[in-house]
Amino acid sequence: MVEFTRRRFLQASGIAGAGLAAGLIRPSFAANESLHAAAQKEGALNLYWGSYEQRTIEAIRDAFTRRYPGIKVNLLRQASQTIYTRLRLELQNNAPNCDSLGSTNILHYLELKKIGALMPYKPAGTEFLPQEFQGLDKDDTFQVGAISLTSLNFQSDKVTSAPTSWEAALDAQWANKLTVGSPSFSGDVASWVVAIRKKYGDHYLQELAKLNPKVGQSNVDTVTDILSGERLVGLGAPFSYSLTQKAAGNPINVVTPTDGTILNLGLSAIPLKAPHPNAAKLFSDFLYDPEVSQILAANFWPTLRTDVPWAEGRSLSQLTWYRNPPEDLAAEVAEGIAKWKDIIG
Amino acid sequence: MGVFAIGTSSATVGAEIRRHRPWVRWTVVTVVLAALFLLVAQPVGWILFNSVHDDATQQWTLNNYVRLVTAKGMIQPIINSIILAFSTAAISTLLGVPLAWLVSRTNMPGRGLIRMLTLGAFVTPSFIGALGWILLAAPNAGWLNTLYRQISGGDLPLFNIYSMSGAIFVCAIYTVPYTFTIVASALDEMAVELEDAATTLGASVLRTMFSVTIPMVMPSVIVGFILSFIQGMTLFGVPAFLLTPSGTSVVTTKLAEFYQLFPPELYMAAAYCMPLLLLTGGLFWVRKKMLGRRRFVMIGGKSRAGRSINLKGWRWAGLLFALIVPVTAVILPYFALIVVSLSKAWGQGPSLSNLTFHWYRWAILENAETQAAIINSLAYAAIGASLCVLLGTLIAYIVERRLVAGTTIIAALTNLPIIIPGIVLSVGFFAAYTQPPLSLYGTSAIIIAAFVATFLPIAYSHGGAMLKGISPDLERVARILGASESKTFTSITAPLMRSGLISGWLLVFIPVMRELSVAVFLITPSTNVMTTLIYNYKDGGNYEAVAAASVLLLVVTMVVVAIAQMLSVKLAKHKRASVEPGVAQ
Repeated sequence: MVEFTRRRFLQASGIAGAGLAAGLIRPSFAANESLHAAAQKEGALNLYWGSYEQRTIEAIRDAFTRRYPGIKVNLLRQASQTIYTRLRLELQNNAPNCDSLGSTNILHYLELKKIGALMPYKPAGTEFLPQEFQGLDKDDTFQVGAISLTSLNFQSDKVTSAPTSWEAALDAQWANKLTVGSPSFSGDVASWVVAIRKKYGDHYLQELAKLNPKVGQSNVDTVTDILSGERLVGLGAPFSYSLTQKAAGNPINVVTPTDGTILNLGLSAIPLKAPHPNAAKLFSDFLYDPEVSQILAANFWPTLRTDVPWAEGRSLSQLTWYRNPPEDLAAEVAEGIAKWKDIIG
Repeated sequence: MGVFAIGTSSATVGAEIRRHRPWVRWTVVTVVLAALFLLVAQPVGWILFNSVHDDATQQWTLNNYVRLVTAKGMIQPIINSIILAFSTAAISTLLGVPLAWLVSRTNMPGRGLIRMLTLGAFVTPSFIGALGWILLAAPNAGWLNTLYRQISGGDLPLFNIYSMSGAIFVCAIYTVPYTFTIVASALDEMAVELEDAATTLGASVLRTMFSVTIPMVMPSVIVGFILSFIQGMTLFGVPAFLLTPSGTSVVTTKLAEFYQLFPPELYMAAAYCMPLLLLTGGLFWVRKKMLGRRRFVMIGGKSRAGRSINLKGWRWAGLLFALIVPVTAVILPYFALIVVSLSKAWGQGPSLSNLTFHWYRWAILENAETQAAIINSLAYAAIGASLCVLLGTLIAYIVERRLVAGTTIIAALTNLPIIIPGIVLSVGFFAAYTQPPLSLYGTSAIIIAAFVATFLPIAYSHGGAMLKGISPDLERVARILGASESKTFTSITAPLMRSGLISGWLLVFIPVMRELSVAVFLITPSTNVMTTLIYNYKDGGNYEAVAAASVLLLVVTMVVVAIAQMLSVKLAKHKRASVEPGVAQ
């Protein structure tokens, strides 16, 4: 899979690299150079990232290191909630170590901003983000760092007509064949539960409970259950990761449901007390560089630039999607988890 | 068991020792107590402090405890955990004690192999074992269930690993090595006169085992039971993977929920651990009541090493029993993991076209993270185990021989960390070791310190069990002959404990290698360890990498364990050789 990713990446960068590098990077070249020099002086960069799985974020790190030599990048890739807790512990104990926080929960950023723990910075290249995700925070303390999609996935050797919507997955034929993560353990599944309750109410969970779904921990467990043959169709499933497994040769595929793929934004911010602020800024700029978006495309992630196409010719505009608004999200998540426990167990 | 009661209390040795050269004692005691304060009292103190604060406002409150008692869904996970832990401990004792006896004291065939394979179960992080067992016994697709359906022609699965009994089974088979190692090391040291007496008086092999041998190693059996119980309470991976599908919550998964919430309820989680402290305190109290007034001297002035009991026709039945743990905890799950690790895409199932060594090449040669993590794991476990055994044995000596007043408090303090689940301890360690005088954040030292503190109770309990087996008479003789306190310890007590110390070292080394949660908030990219890395791959769904890295972890750990075992055997022989002439005189 690594080989595959690399090949895809090289292909993509071969096509797009030269032109983009020449045309798009040059304008900010001078500013970039001085930032690089300042970052080199700092010598290191501590990334705390939960968005993207190990391999994709490692590829981004490696590309950054190639582009900007002389900066030692320490990548701490843990679950989003873990790195957030770590950052909070560092703040409480006055031991700042994080330069760039990349987690999947916008509430982390709203809270950190509220206590004045984030550094305002508008990275170069954010204007290439999809229009609706630009300027998420008017004070520029955080930006979109990842676009994550939650869809259906299924065992492609055994399922000929997979459900095309969340609603269709409640058909009786899928009894004992569904797998889903738990909102208590997975932020992505919690987002899905909040969205599905908004659309269909608790009725959806009640109907789902009747089908005896297998409840795993994270949404990644749906892929595991499908690959092992334990279950056939996954709900609240990871779009990008399922496609990566498909590309590796596994019998799995995704359906983007007609009643709305759930879109969740991963965010990125620089803590106010970051020990290497210039390196952090350089990395923030780099996130919106075409090369990063090419890496994302090669790993089946939505890209962070509208001018870099997604893998398999997909795009945001082809999807019906829904994103939970951040207002009241904390309460809605808590309520969703409580209802889930009552109804599903 | 009255036969083992020896009139003089070991405390009198302490009293004698106290009269001589107080500065040696006070230096050692001061250093040990300071270490105990910094390593254990501080982090546990922070956890207590956190438990009486509010997560949202950071203000003092008892609300967390009120919630613990009154809020919905708080008590059931504790009850579930007690069921899981008690069953785990019971099964682990019932399997581990006879297994230790078979391996240590009988002529059962394949003893060396069984010992190695049981240690193989020990070095396996139980969450990896759980992953292996999911492949084997998931109700629909588990390989054993598929095989069973093919043979029986029925629809129902043979096992459903996603159940309480599945979780108990997996916890137990990976906990047996605790009871096994502790009891086997006591049996290895045991004198055989009493067994001989029983046999001479006509007792059968089994009767001798149950009425003489096992009662003699009772301190070790109880320590094994308590450690198994604690394992059952504190394991996270097994219940998280196996009990989530049935909606069964236990303490550790409930804690994970507190951490997963926004805002994370770290302080509530701290309060949630406090009932566990009471529970474990109760267990140690029961232990004290059971063992307190009796002595279990196995190494006295006339001691000699054991010889094996002839099982005759029962040898093969014994072997069959002894194979339960190796087969279920090592052979079957690693078979499943190896198949996955050799797959290009494991969802395609095993076939020649799907065969690849890529993941091993990747883990060993290409991936810098795995290479660094394996070296880190080995280094931290080796250094941590050495420091832990040193400190634990000294504390055990101070407590057993009552060198100072207040040994009960010292003992209780030493035992505290092990019952607190790793994820909560990690926060306590963060607070304690990030601030002066231990500003260790980001270094390897913070992780080693955390491991030493976490597993100190094992080293201490093991040291205590060893010391209970060594007659204070021997130390007394040395003291009467004019040896100093430190000389007595280094030339009498320590050598007698030597091979026990190696088993103690392994008892800490292995859990450090397989520990998952304690380091979670302390690791940095350059101090990452194998378990957190493997868990990360699992989190990212990369099963081929998980499987290959797990097999690698097993192989590397087993090499170290094998070396330590050889050393232990060598030392035991050396000791036998030097003790025998003494007996003859």
